[in-house]
Amino acid sequence: MSEEFKLTSVEEMEAATNRLLETGAKVGADAWQLRVKNQTPHCKFGEKGICCRICAMGPCRITPKAPRGICGCDADGIVGRNYLKFTAGGGATHSDHGREICHTLYQAKPDGAYKVKDPEKLIRIAKEWGVETEGRDIYDLAHEMAETALLEYGKPFGNQRWLKRAPEHTQEIWQREEIAPRAIDREVACSLHMTHMGCSSKPEALIRQSLRMGLADGWGGSMCGTEFSDVLFGTPKPIDTEANLGVMVEENVNIVVHGHDPSLSEMVCEYADDPEMIAYAKTKGAKGITVSGVCCTSNEVAMRRGVPMAGNFLQQENVVLTGACEAIVVDVQCIFPALGPLSKCFHTKFITTSPIAQMPDSEFIRFNAATAAENAKAIVKMAIDNFENRKPELVHIPQIKQKATVGYSVEALVKVLDGVANTQVDEMGTTKPLIECITSGVIRGAVAMVGCNNPKVRPDYAHIEMMKKLIANDIVIVASGCSAQAAAKAGLMDKRAKDLCGAGLKRVCELADIPPVLHMGSCVDISRMMILVATLAKDSGLNISQLPVVGCAPEWMSEKAVSIGNYVVATGIDTFLGVDPYVAGSETVGKLLTEGVRDWVEAAYTVETDIEKLTDLMIERIEEKRKAIGI
Amino acid sequence: MTLFDVVFKGNDAVYGLTENAINDAIAKYGEDKAVSFPDTAYCLPCYYAVTGVKVTNLKELKEALGVVKTLMTRDQKLNDAFMSGVATALCAEFIEVLKYIDGAAPYAEPYYGHLADAIIRELGVPLVTGDIPGVAVILGKAPTAEEAVELVKSYQAQGILVTMVGECIDQCLSQGMKLGYGVRVVPLGADVTSVIHVVSVALRAALIFGNVAPGDAAALMKYTMDRVPAFVNAFAPLNEVIVACGAGAIALGFPVITNEETFRVPKSLIVQKDVSKFNATSLEARNIKIKITKIDIPVAFASAFEGEIIRRGDMQVEFDGSRVDCVELVHAKEMSEIEDHKIEVIGPDFDEFPVGSKQSIAYVVEVAGKNMQADFEPVFERKFHSYINCIEGVMHTGQRDMIRIRISKATFEAGFRAKDLGEVLYARIKSEFDAVVDKCQVKVITDPAECTRLRHEVAIPMFDKRDERLSTLTDETVDVYYSCIMCQAFSPSHVCVVTPERLGLCGAVSWFDAKATNELDPAGPCQIITKERVIDERIGEYEDVNEAVRKFSQGALEEVSLYSIMEKPMTSCGCFECICGIEPFSNGVVIANREYAGQTPLGMTFSELASMTGGGVQTPGFMGHGKHFIASKKFMKAEGGVQRIVWMPKDLKDQVGERLNATAKELYGIENFTDMIGDETIATDPETLVGFLTEKGHPALGLDPMM
Repeated sequence: MSEEFKLTSVEEMEAATNRLLETGAKVGADAWQLRVKNQTPHCKFGEKGICCRICAMGPCRITPKAPRGICGCDADGIVGRNYLKFTAGGGATHSDHGREICHTLYQAKPDGAYKVKDPEKLIRIAKEWGVETEGRDIYDLAHEMAETALLEYGKPFGNQRWLKRAPEHTQEIWQREEIAPRAIDREVACSLHMTHMGCSSKPEALIRQSLRMGLADGWGGSMCGTEFSDVLFGTPKPIDTEANLGVMVEENVNIVVHGHDPSLSEMVCEYADDPEMIAYAKTKGAKGITVSGVCCTSNEVAMRRGVPMAGNFLQQENVVLTGACEAIVVDVQCIFPALGPLSKCFHTKFITTSPIAQMPDSEFIRFNAATAAENAKAIVKMAIDNFENRKPELVHIPQIKQKATVGYSVEALVKVLDGVANTQVDEMGTTKPLIECITSGVIRGAVAMVGCNNPKVRPDYAHIEMMKKLIANDIVIVASGCSAQAAAKAGLMDKRAKDLCGAGLKRVCELADIPPVLHMGSCVDISRMMILVATLAKDSGLNISQLPVVGCAPEWMSEKAVSIGNYVVATGIDTFLGVDPYVAGSETVGKLLTEGVRDWVEAAYTVETDIEKLTDLMIERIEEKRKAIGI
Repeated sequence: MTLFDVVFKGNDAVYGLTENAINDAIAKYGEDKAVSFPDTAYCLPCYYAVTGVKVTNLKELKEALGVVKTLMTRDQKLNDAFMSGVATALCAEFIEVLKYIDGAAPYAEPYYGHLADAIIRELGVPLVTGDIPGVAVILGKAPTAEEAVELVKSYQAQGILVTMVGECIDQCLSQGMKLGYGVRVVPLGADVTSVIHVVSVALRAALIFGNVAPGDAAALMKYTMDRVPAFVNAFAPLNEVIVACGAGAIALGFPVITNEETFRVPKSLIVQKDVSKFNATSLEARNIKIKITKIDIPVAFASAFEGEIIRRGDMQVEFDGSRVDCVELVHAKEMSEIEDHKIEVIGPDFDEFPVGSKQSIAYVVEVAGKNMQADFEPVFERKFHSYINCIEGVMHTGQRDMIRIRISKATFEAGFRAKDLGEVLYARIKSEFDAVVDKCQVKVITDPAECTRLRHEVAIPMFDKRDERLSTLTDETVDVYYSCIMCQAFSPSHVCVVTPERLGLCGAVSWFDAKATNELDPAGPCQIITKERVIDERIGEYEDVNEAVRKFSQGALEEVSLYSIMEKPMTSCGCFECICGIEPFSNGVVIANREYAGQTPLGMTFSELASMTGGGVQTPGFMGHGKHFIASKKFMKAEGGVQRIVWMPKDLKDQVGERLNATAKELYGIENFTDMIGDETIATDPETLVGFLTEKGHPALGLDPMM
């Protein structure tokens, strides 16, 4: 720790990107920066959410002269329907990821590629679900649990099992407002049914279903994804890693994993560590093998293995532009189709693996749980064989990276909190020490920073600048997804970043030995944040909506993000967005989301594209919540 | 009212009092009147330490108060509360210094008031060495005088320096307790402002010992937080002024423990309603570990007894892992699962055993700590040998499930019982590994059935798991080896070189263990040995290794090879699990393990073989080693490897067979190699053995002679 600690600025990151774009220009590569120019200005009807093309009579667009579509639907109905469809897309995506994990669990074997790495957690969940655990073989139990979880997707009656984890008060709200999600697939189907031509056009109904759809994701499919990933691959514990493009090693074979589902990347990491593979890489003139990650797959393997993070969403093209990427291996979600043509400008192999995400100009190695080991080995070998095809004149890896401590699952956080508790007076295994920090005012509150990058916002700038301001104000951050990676790249997950905090948060970081921005995982892992707030509410006796805690997605872009926003709000947490969710075309829908839903679920959205203002609004909201409960 | 509001209110009150006191003093003496504390070079030490400005008269004091006012910001943030706490402390110092105007002596027996620089210099060394493990600041009135005395005495017994303010002093005096610096209990004064005299000690310590520049407030607060092990015990009721002072203490890193129901802040402001637990709560909050210097057992405990031998005729009882089930084990657990200093005896005690009998024993030391790692378990276990040997009249050899302990008649007659064994293990683990062990409890088991269960169901799987971790590493894949000189008490010139494929000859120190030992205690028995300068790859000789061996054997040993028993073989201390020796008729080697009591084809028993080597002397042709090493690809690699093994006891064959067969298969393509190896059921003389080997086509017969 003797070297001087300094954050990496967004300017430095941009300079590194610009240098890579020069290489891109040399080889005639396309880049999102160029495509944004081609797509600007964006279609105003699309942006406002008032373009309707759900039937073949249209497309219809709402203008002052044409206030209704051919069927007679007004702007409120069109915007509401589009919003619900968007949500359903996100909820389906997360939930299907969760379903894949359940299938993988179903195929786990003691001597197979996939094993149960956290049997204790499996038993804990089984007890929660009332599944018999006494004297059971752990794999037998795993298979029953996987099947039970899979039934959550299509159960004919009843609500999601995970809902029971929420505080009583929250469960009551969900029942009262009729937004407690039923089978996950049913909520997707129901959403698409409602948005069919000639079904719902009433904004309240559409937004209500958006919330239920979101809850089916966050308290359904995503939670399955997170919880059973932990069972399979281990529950994350604090681990040191590094972040930004400088983690790629010029002398080594570089394999970049990208996407969301850890099943593939876990296996790739496994084989990249294999002495046989390392020896093979040496025969090809490399010094070793470096696996690094992009997007949430990266978050998954960083949390569990300390695998370094090459970058987040809008850096995916950069890893190829280094000229030192032998293979970029992708699973599902947030993968630019641009990677295909781009990889052709370099020696890079673009390897798609999932039937869900098939793309032109890629090598498709169909990955499945039964043949996972062989598939992963073939991928690693393909990357090694590709090392000699590098074009040395194109190789440039920007030498910027930061240290990060990641892996703060709820279980790990409770352990950290036990570390500052006093066994003479405190109950162990609770979140009470954190609650005490909050009620005493040492920490003012917490912000969950999540979401993507979006060229509409200067990439990473909002994430990093907001976090800096929040921690300086003694507000602790839990982060996930590309937001977490932005923090890691900047250095905000280095424990030394405590010196950028206010005195209160700094003291907490010192005593608990944590960084001020806590990495909780991938975007699916926002379900961890739900469990955390639920636990905080139960341990404090407050309602979730009373906690000085807010959520924020300043640079969001995907359908998943809207689904997340909906379940975060529906859980009782005020959510702050830096990008408008295509609802500007309807004042009614806008009002409903920013005010109306508060009557239903005790929380609502705030949309503000001025990042500075957005931060201040969050701080204000946190202080308001403190005042309301007299702390 | 928020916690911060309470602090602000207390701060405002003290500030008001200070302002009035200074104004009154100026009115009375004039601005130029000198102010100072006696016997200090630091003027108003707290103000000087925080601001770097020396205050010498009332005019400057008034200006200083203006500076203090700038600290009193009122945002609802911890920084504002901390600074207001500091401001409160500085105000207290101003009020106190006014008492000393004109060389007055405001504090009379029993109070000390301001403490001289000389006392701080005197405290420096014991604070650093841990002889004074902490400084308690006790404030206010205990619920009863008895509780006040009990609390102060509990700290006294731990060597903690106690400072007191307010009514607790009278309470102790009323009980006839002797107070004073000589007995490490310092009554500062009756007024709450007199607490500043202990703060002044802490801040001067930072200037004197910490080389903190006066005025560098950040460095000052870091020093006190990291280096001054002070804490506050404040009795209910707490008023705003005390809370404001408390904020100052917490700002400096000193936790406040109180029995008043108030806000709670982890590690900083702790509510403990039970005053009898103030001690334990405070030590845990400030991470103070008390070194146990005296072990409560009926015989002496000293390194003088470490090499003591107990003859058969002198022994009361013997525990012998080679004949019955014995085991020693360390187990890391969760903090909540352990009750510190709980010693449990399960089974009959020593006086229930017939004199001279052989019995089972198992002792399990369960530890917990926030920094404890499971990797440290075997490291602690390896220390048991030394700990138990240091007990007067007790002898310990071996390790893991192959231990032997003898207890002498004299020690038994002095009253030494099973519980005392637990006391020794508890005390030593707590004091030696205080960096990682916060809580420790010991189970001493003499019930034979339970010993059997523990050995086979708990310990052996655990040992196997530890060994298993090793099997994935090779000598080539690591960058460093480790030396181990844990048994130099017995064998002063022996040095083990521990590599992934060659564990220590005692069988108990693997490369991981050595690594963990080194991490726990970088100056301890296991040191890093680099392996950059190869001399001879065949026999595994390195210049770096030779240099290390020379250094750690104090020059007794010049060169060793890692993979040969003929050329520069590694030495043995005497703790080896196995010994191998050349068998000239078959060109092979015979291995005997410690548990094997019978004859070997060399015409010698294990004990006789053992006497040939040991003592840190190189004896080509004979070598001590661990069991695990037998199946290593590096075993006698220079002489052709494991194919040289021609005989070993059946029991040992069973233990290592599976792995040995795998190695032979991999190296030579031989299936079921152990079937070719003789044992005591086949031969205990060389002729029969060679006949058997010939019949089996043992590969050693076709190899070159070793000598």
